[in-house]
Amino acid sequence: MAQHTAPATGGSSLADVEKASSKARNETIVRMGKFILRRLLAGIATVTVGVYLTVLIANMGGALDDIRRATIQEGVANFIALQALEDPEIRAMSQEQRNEMIAEQIALQEKRFGLDQPFAIRSFRALGAAMTLNLGFADQMVSDSGSKMVRNIILERLPATLVLFGTAYLLLFFLTLFGGLALSRRYGSWLDKGIIALAPTSAAPSWFYALFLILIFAGILNWLPFGGMVSAPPPPTPWGYAKSLGFHMILPVTAIVINAVFSGIYGQRTFFLAFASEDYVDMAKAKGLSNKAIERRYILRPTLPPIITSFAFVLLSLWGGAIILENVMNWPGLGRTYGQAIGQFDTAVIVSLVVVDAYLLTFTLFILDILYAVVDPRVRVGEGSNGR
Amino acid sequence: MKKLLFVTSFLALLLIACTAEPVEVVREVEVIKEVEVTREVEVVQEVVEEVEVVKEVEVEKIVEVVVEATPVPVDRTGPWVDTVVVLEEANADAAISRLEAGDIDVFADDIGNPTSFARLQEIDAISSVQSFGLYYEISFNPAACADEGVMNPFANAAIREAMNQLVDRDFISTEIMGGLATPRYVAINAASADRGRFAADIRAIEAQYAFNKEAASATIAAEMEAMGAEMVDGVWNFNGAPVELSGLIRTEDQRTEIGDYVADQLEDIGFTVLRDYKSSSEASPIWLRGEPSDCAFNYYTGGWISTAISRDVGGNWQFFQTAAGLPFPLFQAYENSDEFADLAQRLNDSDYSTLEERAEMISAILPLAMEESQRIWLVDLQSAWPYRSEISLSADLSGGISGSRFWPYTLRRGEEVGGSVTMAMPSILTEAWNPIAGSNWIFDQSLIRATGDAGTLPDPHTGLAIPQRIEGATVTAQEDLPVGKTLDWVTLEKAAEITVPDDAWVDWDAETQTFITASEKFTETQTALLKSTVTYPADLWDTVTWHDGSAISPADFVMGMILTFDQAKEGSAIYDEAQVAAFDSFIGTFKGTRVLSLDPLTIETYTDAWSLDAENGVNTWWPQYNQGEGAWHNLAIGIMAETQGLTAFSADKSTTNEIEHMSYVSGPTLEILGNMLNGNEEEGIEGAAASGFIPYEPTMGQFVTADDAAARYANLQEWNRTRGHFWVGTGPFFLQRAYPVEGNVILQRNTAYPDAANKWDRFAAPAIAEVELDGPGRVTNGDEAAFDVIVTFNGEPYAMSDISEVTYLLFDATGALVGQGSADAVEDGLWQVTLGSDVTGDLEAGSSRLEVVVSSTRVALPSLSSLEFVASP
Repeated sequence: MAQHTAPATGGSSLADVEKASSKARNETIVRMGKFILRRLLAGIATVTVGVYLTVLIANMGGALDDIRRATIQEGVANFIALQALEDPEIRAMSQEQRNEMIAEQIALQEKRFGLDQPFAIRSFRALGAAMTLNLGFADQMVSDSGSKMVRNIILERLPATLVLFGTAYLLLFFLTLFGGLALSRRYGSWLDKGIIALAPTSAAPSWFYALFLILIFAGILNWLPFGGMVSAPPPPTPWGYAKSLGFHMILPVTAIVINAVFSGIYGQRTFFLAFASEDYVDMAKAKGLSNKAIERRYILRPTLPPIITSFAFVLLSLWGGAIILENVMNWPGLGRTYGQAIGQFDTAVIVSLVVVDAYLLTFTLFILDILYAVVDPRVRVGEGSNGR
Repeated sequence: MKKLLFVTSFLALLLIACTAEPVEVVREVEVIKEVEVTREVEVVQEVVEEVEVVKEVEVEKIVEVVVEATPVPVDRTGPWVDTVVVLEEANADAAISRLEAGDIDVFADDIGNPTSFARLQEIDAISSVQSFGLYYEISFNPAACADEGVMNPFANAAIREAMNQLVDRDFISTEIMGGLATPRYVAINAASADRGRFAADIRAIEAQYAFNKEAASATIAAEMEAMGAEMVDGVWNFNGAPVELSGLIRTEDQRTEIGDYVADQLEDIGFTVLRDYKSSSEASPIWLRGEPSDCAFNYYTGGWISTAISRDVGGNWQFFQTAAGLPFPLFQAYENSDEFADLAQRLNDSDYSTLEERAEMISAILPLAMEESQRIWLVDLQSAWPYRSEISLSADLSGGISGSRFWPYTLRRGEEVGGSVTMAMPSILTEAWNPIAGSNWIFDQSLIRATGDAGTLPDPHTGLAIPQRIEGATVTAQEDLPVGKTLDWVTLEKAAEITVPDDAWVDWDAETQTFITASEKFTETQTALLKSTVTYPADLWDTVTWHDGSAISPADFVMGMILTFDQAKEGSAIYDEAQVAAFDSFIGTFKGTRVLSLDPLTIETYTDAWSLDAENGVNTWWPQYNQGEGAWHNLAIGIMAETQGLTAFSADKSTTNEIEHMSYVSGPTLEILGNMLNGNEEEGIEGAAASGFIPYEPTMGQFVTADDAAARYANLQEWNRTRGHFWVGTGPFFLQRAYPVEGNVILQRNTAYPDAANKWDRFAAPAIAEVELDGPGRVTNGDEAAFDVIVTFNGEPYAMSDISEVTYLLFDATGALVGQGSADAVEDGLWQVTLGSDVTGDLEAGSSRLEVVVSSTRVALPSLSSLEFVASP
């Protein structure tokens, strides 16, 4: 919510003040409305442009059609080759009949993939469907349970990704936040130096740590499972399932945490140190306020917007999963879906994942704009304000 | 390209807000589709007295082998193990670690990577079995370039032929493939019946085209000069510029190294090679769709797969080396000599009347194929399929474990009876499961087969059909066809003419839902090239039940027959244009069928499709569809659902109509199928159980009563209630439950399965003969010399009756082939090669080499051995 402060004049009556205040409120609401509308329109425009670019890129500007056609032809060729070698019925066909059968199969497959229509038309149709979140059917992929609907493909994998990355990222978020805060109080200590020294370990990706963890804890020590989401067969009771799930999450969560915890703490620690050296903090110290009060009122409060932003993006990042880590850990999440979609050139799934991500991102930014105004009085919205 | 796509997708997001989560590198997903498709056409008819004169003639009997169904039946029926837990593991190296740790027992995927294979061999706790389905080659672009200023040396057949000697196949096998391959020179697959039949011819080709860089270089140099090129500072030039070759090199496997090796060899003899590394999808538009005269590539590292042991590779030459192979630009650029084209055509069409004639044709085409060399064969891959050492199971010589029909029958942990085995596969439940047109992914099919059974099964080591559910069969072939038989379960007869009875069912009327008889369709009497009469055991109806408890019945067979035709008929409620092409190929040779008896079930089938082996010409009509077994009642609910447009059996139809592909095991179509079975008042659907729905009632009604239908639907309702799916078969395992998201499938032992657990134990390991050659180290010219060929398997003598032929080849000191012939059988495990005085008299002085090739009827993989001796005056 935005605020506007009307200048007070010594000769104004209370009614004038109230009138001015009411007017200011109305102006604020109007400005807020205009702002929201502008941001919404801008958001929709950017999503539209972004999604259409994704459609173009995912289809390689139409060049993917050639690859698909060739893949279809090669697939039919292989199929007929083996049929012809093994099946006396095919062998008995004349060359003309066989070629006719091949041509029919190719035409059928091309029609199935919409290759009988120009790419330009299909690209705008795909854009329209994506913008209205009509995710439709996948080109080639199917969901784990056998559905070709993109919605099902995504929704089936979403819980697995959310539970793994939700756990890991929330753990990371709070570990780095409080770790950074604690470390900023111990600036220059051995612990501080140790964390700084370990920060570069984040250069290696989480799957790299996952490989080592699997080798040690599954391969050598046999303490933890090699991968998967639950034991096979999955436990029949909810409690047993949850227990097994937790057991299988240990290694991937650890890999994610190891990958980012040190650099995260280091970053937060630097961030808090920067705020702790502001003039108003020095002033508070000079006033004789307690360290706890200084931390709460003068350090944490102004750092809230970036922390909220960071938290929002943590939530947003849950959507994506991680392609290689999920593959290494055999985790049935959205990251693997993304990888499979790219590997199979399944543009319907790729575009759907991107469009959902785009909508989530736009929505998150939009909400953040409003939240900033609420939590940080320095932020103002609209014309004539000093908002930043 | 895929990385680029992935990164650029995210760049689009960066345009929205300058933030994005870090992304990880794309893992390439390899997609392997099963390409083997079996078709069984099923028709049943009322009992009709057979009136036909069959002339019994003497036919050439190759070798007759007695099939021992179960040596000593045990009390245990069905599979040895109680439970198979299947889970996903896509990474071969991770799978090896898990095998070593005992986390999994079997990895049902092949290990083709030499490094992984080397690691596998070092672990005592892991055993492996090998298969021979994959093979690599170099495909040349044989077209002259449209731009006359550009030279394509491979437009010259002599240069292509010389390339055979420029590449060292032994180097590729041992160094690049790490021993996981054997050199290949000809179009005959390693795992095929013809490999043994023509082992001597193949060996002669191998000797002639063995690696000889100097000879290859000289031939190529002569041809290049004749074509107007000149060597300038060690580099071939044409029109004043270096002759630049483009090697289209696949990047997914060892073909990268092979492509580089070929490039190195070409560069060594003066060519400039541009190495164009491409994945499958990137390469296809160039080599398959591109116009060859554009010369966008000069050679391509090709690879092919065969998931079944071929019994007749006669079609290979036409397919791989002539324009008739495929209607794509590259194939259309193939030019052949008249002699080659004629032989290839005749071999493809089986245009011969005796096996001897066929053998002569193949012997003649082998050297001609080398002279044309539109492609040169490099290696047959040996893929290793690993499992824990305490586990035993049968693998297919061509398809490995996941392509094996016998692993479910033979899987066992040591001597244990019962227990559980954990099997890992790269992917499971990859597509929807339904018997008509469901998932044909090799890993899904591996599990589907475990839940089903068959009338006959292909021998995993020879590819010959062997009886599983049927009692026996008689095959009658037209007398001028070279059809032979090997096994004793089939009786082979020959007749001058085989007429199709007037009352045989020859087609299907989708509108009246009745079969059309021969007399209704044709005005003249029809003939067929082959007739098979199959007989089922008398107790079939009492012993075989579907997993839901329903006894198998004639209606199940009739349903299969109907569905062979119905979906391809426009008048059908479940017409599917995607089925038409396959149906057309079937109906092109199908001549009719009729049931001679319902108890015992006896069915005869007339067809113009035939193969060299009578065993493989038997049509059993078992209710085994393209993608799994199906009972008429569980197919009925699928037919109801497709008729109402709610879901479709085939992926093609589901995509076209934007409805879900029908799955009997998981996903949204389970609810649809449930509604079809149980009804749904809210949606106004009357279920099959309540209505007693009998599909194709005008025909099926003759085989199904209302009570039968009610009982069957009640069984299926109970099955679905307890298992949560509709997948039923008659196989040794049933599907306990599928966990699609978790990637688990649980198979449970079918306790009602009628066969003893040890029925197929004999297929635990392929009987690949071990051959040792013993004889004199020195042979004097003009003296007769005898050499012993000792043939064993697992240390025991190999039975003479199991060996089809032992041939020998004799090479003199110059490496020339100077003699070949057959060895004589002495006793089990011992054969003898005798070199007459006339043969030894002509030998050049020096080190000669005798090679023997042992071909077995128990395994389609010949064994070789050689011995060097000194020939002296």
